[in-house]
Formats: sequence, C-alpha cells, structure tokens
Amino acid sequence: MSKEKNSIGKSLMGLPANVARSIFRNPLPSSDRGRAATSFTNFFLHIQPVRVSRQALRPSYTMGLGLISFFLFVILTVTGVLLMFYYVPSTAQAYDRMLDLRSSVAFGIILRNMHRWAAHGMVACVFLHMCRVFFTGSYKPPREFNWVIGVCLFGLTLLSSFTGYLLPWDQLAFWAITVGTSIAGYAPLVGKAMKFILLGDATVGQEALLRFYVLHVVVLPLVLTIFVAVHFWRIRKDGGLAKPEAEAAPKRVQVQVQIQDEPGPMVTTATVAVAAPPRRFTIQGLVRGPLVKVGKLEEDTVFSWPNLLVAELFVLLLTIAGVMLVSILFNAPLEQPVNVMHPPNPAKAPWYFLGLQEQVSYSAFWGGIGVPGIELLLLLLLPYIDRGKEGVGRWFARERVLANSIFLLFVIVNISLIVIGTFFRGANWQFVSPF
Amino acid sequence: MEATATETKLSEPQVGRRRFLAWLSGVGIAGSAVLGSLATFFFIRPRTTYGQPNRFKIGRPEEFPPGSRIAIDPKRVCIVREGNKVAAISTTCTHLGCIVAPSATGFQCPCHGSRFDVDGNVTGGPAPKALAWYAMTLTPSGELEVDKDSEIETGTYLSV
Repeated sequence: MSKEKNSIGKSLMGLPANVARSIFRNPLPSSDRGRAATSFTNFFLHIQPVRVSRQALRPSYTMGLGLISFFLFVILTVTGVLLMFYYVPSTAQAYDRMLDLRSSVAFGIILRNMHRWAAHGMVACVFLHMCRVFFTGSYKPPREFNWVIGVCLFGLTLLSSFTGYLLPWDQLAFWAITVGTSIAGYAPLVGKAMKFILLGDATVGQEALLRFYVLHVVVLPLVLTIFVAVHFWRIRKDGGLAKPEAEAAPKRVQVQVQIQDEPGPMVTTATVAVAAPPRRFTIQGLVRGPLVKVGKLEEDTVFSWPNLLVAELFVLLLTIAGVMLVSILFNAPLEQPVNVMHPPNPAKAPWYFLGLQEQVSYSAFWGGIGVPGIELLLLLLLPYIDRGKEGVGRWFARERVLANSIFLLFVIVNISLIVIGTFFRGANWQFVSPF
Repeated sequence: MEATATETKLSEPQVGRRRFLAWLSGVGIAGSAVLGSLATFFFIRPRTTYGQPNRFKIGRPEEFPPGSRIAIDPKRVCIVREGNKVAAISTTCTHLGCIVAPSATGFQCPCHGSRFDVDGNVTGGPAPKALAWYAMTLTPSGELEVDKDSEIETGTYLSV
C-alpha cells in the first residue's frame, strides 16, 4: 500500500523531467559527443550536419542570403495564412476586405505590410543569393543540379509574388496584372492559350482573381516548399557549401582502411598455444563522393551546435527585425478600386517585371519572350556550359574573371532596365526625369 | 553447367512475375500521369467563361446604314459599313486594353494617345499592332453575329 503510494508520488514528482526527457533526447550538451548527438537526434536540427565548415559560417562569404530568403518565405507563409482568415477572392469583396484590414482588423495593417514587404524582399534576396552563388563559383560539380533547382526557385518566387499582386483588386493590382499577362500573350504559338488559361477568361476579371488566388495560396507555395526541401537536402549531399579547392574534401575517393591488429596475445591452454587470428577490416565503397571527411577536420570545421544554430537564429532575428521595421515605417500601397475603363497612365507591371516591360516597349516579341527565354535557358544550362574547375568557393576568383564579367554584365543590364522602367518612364511610357 | 541452367530456370518464373509487376506498375503509373496531366489541362482550360460572351448578335444589317461607323462600347467593337459590306473592328487598344473612340481619321485611344486609321492600322502612339478585325456572319434569322474568338485579316468584309 505504502509502496504503491510512494511510486505514484515519485511518478508525479518526476513527471516534468520525464516528459521533457522524452521530448528532448539529450540534455543541453556539454561535450563534443553531446553536441553531435543533439544535432542528429533532433528532427529539426538533423537537417544540418553535425559539423560545419568555418567557411560556411563566415558572414562575408554567404551574407546569409539563402537563409534570409528562406526565413522570408516562412514569414510570408505565416502572415499569408493569417491574412487568408479575412480575405475573399471575389471582385465584389476583395477591395473592401483590404479596407477592413486597414480599419477594423486588429494588426491588419501590420500583417499586410509584412506580407507585402517580405514578398518584395524575397524576390530581391533570392536574386542576390543567385548572384552570390555565381560570383563564388558555387555551381560547379557536384552542385550543378542544385543551381538548376535554385533557378526554378527564383522563377517560383517571381510567380508567387506576381499572383499575389492581383489579390487586393485595386487599380495598381489590376493594371499590373493586365500588363504582365499581356506580355505573356506575346509568346509565339502558346502565348494566347497560356494567357487564356492563366486568366480563365479573355480579360482580367473574377475568373483571373480566383485562379491567381488558388495559385498563390496553394499551388505555388506547395511546389516552392518541395523545391526548397530538395534544395536544402542537396546542399548536404553535395558536401555542404562550396569550399575553395584546398579546403574541399577530395571527391570520389574510395576509402580503404586496413586495420591490422597486433598479433593477439598468446592464449595458453593446457596443451596448445594458439595465436588469435589477425583481424582485418575493410571499409570499401560505403561512403563515396564528397561526403568523405578526411584531412584537416578539426581546424576547418566546428560543431553545428551551437555555432551554426546561433548564426541561423541571429539571421532569423535580423530578418524579422528588418521586415518589422519596414512594415512599421511604410504602408503597403492600396490605390483606388478597379476601374476597367480607366487605366492609370503609365500602367506599370510589378517592379521586378519592369525591366521586362521596358524591353517590351522596344520589341514585343524579342523583349518579352525572345531575350528573356534565352536568358532563362542560359541560366538553367550554365553549370553544364561552364565546366572549368577553378575558382570554386571564393568571391570573384581571378580564374573566373570571364564568367564573372559576363554575369556581372547580365546583372547590371537587368537592374538598369528595371531602374529605367521604374523611375524614368512616365505617361505613354515616355522618357521622364525623376529629378 | 547444367546445374546452373536448371537453377536459372527454377528462379525464372518468380523473376518474371516480379518484372512483369514492375513493368505494369511503371507503365500504369506513367500512363496515369500522362492522362492525368492531359485531363488537368482540359479541366483548367475553361469551356465556358462567366464574363461577356465572345460571340454575340448585334442586330440586323439595316440598323447600320451604308457609310456608318457605329461603336458599341459595352461589346468593345465598332461596326463599319461601306455600301453592302460590313465588318467588325475591335475597339480594344492593342497597347493596354483601353477603349478607343472613332475619330475623323480613324480611331483614337484616350489613355496613351495611340492613333489608328479607319482600318485600325497604327498611325501613332505606343500601340504595338493594328486593331483586330473579327469574323462576322449572317445568322438564318437575318441578324449579324460577331465572333471575337476568330480574328480575320484587316480589310475582310462580309457582304450583306
């Protein structure tokens, strides 16, 4: 009786500790072994390697751009789901719901601002991340395909942002999408059909709003999430972030380890002495590819717990702080409700498509489809065209001066076109000075 | 030698069945994927639209006297009649979709200043191409019907 009571008491006393221990398999680690175990026994931490190279942690190397893009995506998901509670994808109601967010919904303004600015920030960060990967030569084998996935992610980011642009159903949204989809309509053969399927009608209207809504809140985020998962997984499998040649682990090495024991101790029995058979171990082909860690392991790498984790949490903090700051300072634009008969003059696409719109003003086909198509194809094929092995893992490596110059030119031209389209184009797309 | 042959033969039926199942699954799933994609394509491609119909009647030919140019703004089309020939010219500006208005020299866009001649060819402004001409038919009931889904060559008239 007393024993029973005692054990229940004990269970109750130990309950919090037992529950905690069942959730977190390791106490806060104090040894290297513990740090390793913490990394690989936690679902969220095991996405990361146990040890990470110092190079990958250097802020001046990655600038955390990929991570910032991911955190912006997380912020977008959270704020987006919250906004869905009040939004109605109907031409009759959408704009009123925007006004309600401003006037009657608690924290409605800040949530909408965060969602809008994080979206713009994500487009910018994904592009800058692509620039970082190029200028550090990080798309070289074995990372070719991860570059391709990255280019797809950039496209998905643009599409997500573009589809979201229509949802407020104000003049800015309506005409930006009208212009944007008419650019798509210039594509040969499939252009008209593509535009029709995208809009669900001949013009931007209720069908387009519903289609963009479904794409924006379900289809694109889902596809984006899958691509992000594969992107992250391949970073691990391709041997972490790209490192300079000297520090990089040798690739495609077959490890052959032979451990030959000292001749075993003489086992003496009453009649005979037998030497224990020498044991021989061979590890062959178990670990192939760039996963093999040999050489200066200790100097080049540090434990992910806490080094990587702290760095990531700090970047998350900075991202949240940045988005919050911008959202408090600037309100997301909301213009007059849609008036189909009166487009604003000039009617402009979202800023990331203004380079495209500027090109379209010279030639509808070449500016809108030809040149961007070739650019996209070259971006996708880049790691298969540029097979040089030099200059991996360093910013602006001298060996890659040609490739870097070409890419820099591509970046400057596109940014210039966007700047011209944004600031230097007025009514009737005439050249105006913003000063 | 013979022993190996017998062994292979003995194990063959099992491998055969497994390979057949693998083949069946592969082909079946790939086929489903292809059919599913096609079905999805046809599903999301609307067969009816909820906006304005693109094919509509605009009245009897007598309502459009010879030499008239009558713009029907809600339908975004201008009916032109010369003698006993009629045609339907789009009044949607090819620039950004504003509604152009008939003018003395043809059509003029109020939004961005695009100008078109009487046949809809661009004569000035930012418009990238000419106004579309739509196919017209005379229905059995004697009414004119415009089909905005089928664009025809500039200068193609319907005789009435």
